[in-house]
Amino acid sequence: MNDIALNVSHVSVDLGGRRILSNLSFEVGHGEFMGILGPNGAGKTTLFRVLLELLRPTKGTVQHFGERSGQEREKSEVSTRKSTATIGYVPQSRQIDTELPMQVRDFVSLGLPNPFRFWLSRRDKEAVQSAMELTDCARFGHQPIGKLSGGERQRAYLAQALVRNPQILLLDEPTSNLDPGAQEGMAAVVHQICRSQSISVLFISHDVNLIARYADRILYLTPGHYAVGTVDEVMRTDVLQRLYGTAVELVRMAGKLYLVATEQAIGGGTDICN
Amino acid sequence: MFQYDFMQHAFAAGTVVAIMCGAIGVFVIARSLSFIAHSFSHIGFSGAAFAVCIGWNPLSGLLLFTSISALAIGGFGVKVFRRDVTISIILSLFLGLGLLFIALSTKQATAMYALLFGSVVGISMSSVWEMLLLSLFVLALLVVLYKPLKFDSFDPVGAQAARLPVRVLSVAFLILLGIASSEAIQIVGSLLVFTLMTAPAATARYLTNTVFRMIMASAFLAVIGVWGGLVLSYYTNAPVTFFIATLECIFYFMALGWHALRERRKARTVEAVTPVWQRA
Repeated sequence: MNDIALNVSHVSVDLGGRRILSNLSFEVGHGEFMGILGPNGAGKTTLFRVLLELLRPTKGTVQHFGERSGQEREKSEVSTRKSTATIGYVPQSRQIDTELPMQVRDFVSLGLPNPFRFWLSRRDKEAVQSAMELTDCARFGHQPIGKLSGGERQRAYLAQALVRNPQILLLDEPTSNLDPGAQEGMAAVVHQICRSQSISVLFISHDVNLIARYADRILYLTPGHYAVGTVDEVMRTDVLQRLYGTAVELVRMAGKLYLVATEQAIGGGTDICN
Repeated sequence: MFQYDFMQHAFAAGTVVAIMCGAIGVFVIARSLSFIAHSFSHIGFSGAAFAVCIGWNPLSGLLLFTSISALAIGGFGVKVFRRDVTISIILSLFLGLGLLFIALSTKQATAMYALLFGSVVGISMSSVWEMLLLSLFVLALLVVLYKPLKFDSFDPVGAQAARLPVRVLSVAFLILLGIASSEAIQIVGSLLVFTLMTAPAATARYLTNTVFRMIMASAFLAVIGVWGGLVLSYYTNAPVTFFIATLECIFYFMALGWHALRERRKARTVEAVTPVWQRA
């Protein structure tokens, strides 16, 4: 986990004259689960677009380190490819037609890295099978994708991203439309993949407690500010007040964290501006 | 029936074009481009009228106009043209232009009729060859682009996430669609391109659950429709296109009915195995 998989250094992004990300720097280790929290409009999805090289940062650099030093995974063909093949991305909103005439297995195999070859080699089939087993999709591999429940569908999306054998996995609110049980299930599956395959995970969510349970570290983004660190380092009233720039309070009730906006600033306003 | 050259030509051309249209139609409906296909056919109509007017082969006019509009639509981005207002304005402009070109040319009525409603019977051997080559070209490209097109058509967000060159794919597909509609116009006419391009694919959607089988089913249904149309027309003297349109429509509603029936039966079995106390 000590090796660095991803290094973001002083990245700023301006879009349409508005600064979305400002001087953001952090690192993600191999096999690290990093939770990304923050209000809407803080630039979480923009950050993913920068990491995917879909968007060029106004300032700063992003480096992917595909080759891992030390304990290496078996040298499969995919892991020796260039960095472009090593990021798996599960985007936020995805509409799938309920009548879509495609079985889950076929849907997953769309994600295979070879762009043109439409038949599956034995290695492809193995990759599809292992991605489906890792995400617990194998049970409904022959069902049409449109007929799955929300949680099952999210796992199929995850499998499609995993089949490329990525070293970094970007998940944009994979739990947003799921019921609490399915949210927990999804996060647990991702966590297990992160550990067993030592894939770095960046996981955007609005659920503080879900992230707090699974993430090694948290990146908390607010418009113009950010904080990186372990759950205990970031989820503190003073840090959050600095991030939001207004009076907020972190309340701990029955072992769960709640972020509350308060009328008056607690502990004075000295930490607020930064 | 087959002792006549014109019937042989009609069967050959109809079969080739039906296979190609049936196959491409699956992607047309998946990408919700059926109305763009429809506007291509009208643009093609004016292109053909233009060609007739200045004394070219209609096919070259068709291909010229549809390819240019494919590039134009690709340049603006497909989203702008999915808006029905944009499409209706473009449709009317090109129908008007077609009318103008027809009026300017000397062979008015028959050419107009053939372009609007198709002229599969009376097609020459050289046209059959043209259509065969074009269809093979379209089908070959569909095979090469099958995987990325399937990804981008059925899961556009995923395709973008996997960093497929979606823009290039979109323009390439529009050009293929332009060629395909140019051919379909010659069989069923520009007003009825839907009958070969979207109806069989829409039917196939209810019959299978993989994309490849859907393409097979769609091409098969298109071919059956064209053959049936030619045979019925031969014995009744009513227009071929009428029969093709009617047959494809019947296929569609039969498939829809069958699908609904099967869904209902499935729902009933689920109900039967659910214990009484768990029923809502």
